[in-house]
Amino acid sequence: MIDRSFLRLIALVAKRDYLRTVRRRGFIVGTLLLPLSIGIIGGIASFFAGGALDGLAGAGGDVTITLANESSLGLAEETRDGFRVRLVDRAAGLAELDRGNGRELYILADDYLASGVVERIAVSSGGRVDLGDLQRRQVQENGLADYLRRSLAAQIQLPPDRVERLLEPVAVRERSLDGAPPASDGLAARFIVPYAFSTFFVISIFITSGYLLQSVTEEKENRVVEILLSSIPALPLMAGKIIGLGGAGLTQVAIWLATAAITLPALGSRGNLGPINLSPEALLLALVYFVLGYAAYGAIFSAIGALAPGTREAQQYSGFFGFFAVIPLILSALFLTNSGSPVVTGLLLLPLTAPASALLLLVVAPEPPWPLIGLSLAVLVAFVVLATVASARIFRATLLLYGVRPSLRQLASAVFARD
Amino acid sequence: MTSITPDANPAQVVPTVVVHRAWKRFGRVDVVRDLSFEVRPGELLGFLGPNGAGKTTTMRMILDLIRPDRGEITVFGGAPGARHQRRIGYLPEERGLYRDVSVLDTLTYFGSLKGLPSREARRRATRLLEEVGLGDSMRKRASELSRGMHQKAQVVATILHEPDLLIVDEPFQGLDPVNADLLRRVVLGQRSRGAAVIMSTHNMEEAQALCDRVLLIDHGRRLLYGTIPQVRAAFSDGAVVVRGEAVPTDPGPLRSVAEAQRVDGTVRYILSPGRTPQDLFRELAALDTRVERFEVASPSLNEIFILAVRGDRRAERVP
Repeated sequence: MIDRSFLRLIALVAKRDYLRTVRRRGFIVGTLLLPLSIGIIGGIASFFAGGALDGLAGAGGDVTITLANESSLGLAEETRDGFRVRLVDRAAGLAELDRGNGRELYILADDYLASGVVERIAVSSGGRVDLGDLQRRQVQENGLADYLRRSLAAQIQLPPDRVERLLEPVAVRERSLDGAPPASDGLAARFIVPYAFSTFFVISIFITSGYLLQSVTEEKENRVVEILLSSIPALPLMAGKIIGLGGAGLTQVAIWLATAAITLPALGSRGNLGPINLSPEALLLALVYFVLGYAAYGAIFSAIGALAPGTREAQQYSGFFGFFAVIPLILSALFLTNSGSPVVTGLLLLPLTAPASALLLLVVAPEPPWPLIGLSLAVLVAFVVLATVASARIFRATLLLYGVRPSLRQLASAVFARD
Repeated sequence: MTSITPDANPAQVVPTVVVHRAWKRFGRVDVVRDLSFEVRPGELLGFLGPNGAGKTTTMRMILDLIRPDRGEITVFGGAPGARHQRRIGYLPEERGLYRDVSVLDTLTYFGSLKGLPSREARRRATRLLEEVGLGDSMRKRASELSRGMHQKAQVVATILHEPDLLIVDEPFQGLDPVNADLLRRVVLGQRSRGAAVIMSTHNMEEAQALCDRVLLIDHGRRLLYGTIPQVRAAFSDGAVVVRGEAVPTDPGPLRSVAEAQRVDGTVRYILSPGRTPQDLFRELAALDTRVERFEVASPSLNEIFILAVRGDRRAERVP
């Protein structure tokens, strides 16, 4: 016989529930499905995007426009920064299209200087909408506009520096009065990162709670629970489940995140979120909130699993509590505009909304309100301890009832019973 | 591990379980009422009673899964609780295994929870599963096993850690005679090892054959508690059943007999007050009868069960 200490029992249950979950076919399929989907979608997108680029590049690697000039504007053929304008007459251009050389012909109408009309004659697509064609056309027409602006400027003999201003008249350079980075600097990062972080938190809660509910209801339905409760006290059993199944849920989410981190840049994502100014302390705090938040929800969902007569009811009840996790996301604009609001304070002190709120606040607030965060952490820790003990007692009291719904009085007496 | 010597004075052996005037109420129903009994090391107590009598509740109170409202329960000399869990093996009536996990893995897990090192739990589970004929099935998932195989695996889970107290609820229910006999030997082996055994059963023949003592409860109340001979003696009406040739069917020539009646080829004699079966035997011998069977009649445990539950007050005669 070996030591049966509280921590060892927790570790035993946690390890066993973790391994049992991650070895399940459903878990493996579910975990691989998302990265696989991203891969397939990314591959398809990359294929089409690649096709479009190939179309743009042409034989010499340049973007080429075939242009017939019937206006009085004097034009010359040009190759500039990989963009080539080739001049032809209308008949020759149309003949090339007929032969399959080239896919479109641009024609400056004879009244171009008065009307600005440019005619485009293209090979028929047969009604198909091709993303690559649309992209190529956009690039061609932007290039053609720059080419015509330069040609017009040359006609009136504008100096080269004015020609540049004509092409790019506005280049905003922003700074604030006190030299600090302007409020709009990295706005996307400042909003998206905490939002994504909180969303990630909520998703992990829902995924993991699913495992918890499944485990508890399954042990109830398999009639294993009485053997377990005669072998190990309810508290380490519950704590072990929360840790083990939480670990399984986090493993799944971590694999998804890692896949996204690797795949998205490889797919050529052009998103530039700018610098994310999160101190190591704030990062650590975010992690603490994450773990405590998960433990709080885990305790509640385990109790729901014990109370609910079946898996479906358990999921319905858990949805109600899951809503609390989403509230800070719904009110995320408030965090950005007025992080000192009483509503934000309330959300930070309420255990079920505290984790997502804190994650938002840590990134958004210019100076995190440390005393408030300290208080919020203390409330959250107390809640986790009480919720875990209470749910262990509910678990013990109700699981032996096998389908009989306990009264509120029975639940209360189970929760407040003296050991 | 508790050890007892064969010549140990029972009065000096500390009972493994003592239930003293325990009460438990659910809602408005007293499920257990003023119940007292004890179980000693090496003793097999048959826990009898109709469905809903309060047997499972009592067992759960001993396991500390629920607490009595009144009265006292001691296990291994102390209050029931988590510290005794490793010394107790429990086979609940509502039993199960993880359906999608191999039997061997499930048993290893249960053994680990009871404090066995994982490797040792696996080794013992392998050996015991082989002993009960599940050697070829131990790597199968529980969902692939027959009901009888399930039951054998669950009994193995209960004794894996060699408990000092075994609480088994209907351990042989639904088994064919061969497997029932196999598990019977397993349970008796635990008793021989010195474990105290509390076995709930509805099978009175089984109880009569296996148990050292029986406890019969109904509506949470104790109706009967004692050794099998004590219980049967308490319900005996002093009759003697005789089968043979030229056996008198009326008391005429037999002074020790107050009443005689023919029953299924035998003659049942009710003795006169103060007379013993020995007196009757002598008189029959003197009459030159050829006796094939001479037996002091006492009801079977099954009959006693029915009589006691119907309120027969002879149950109170059990010492």
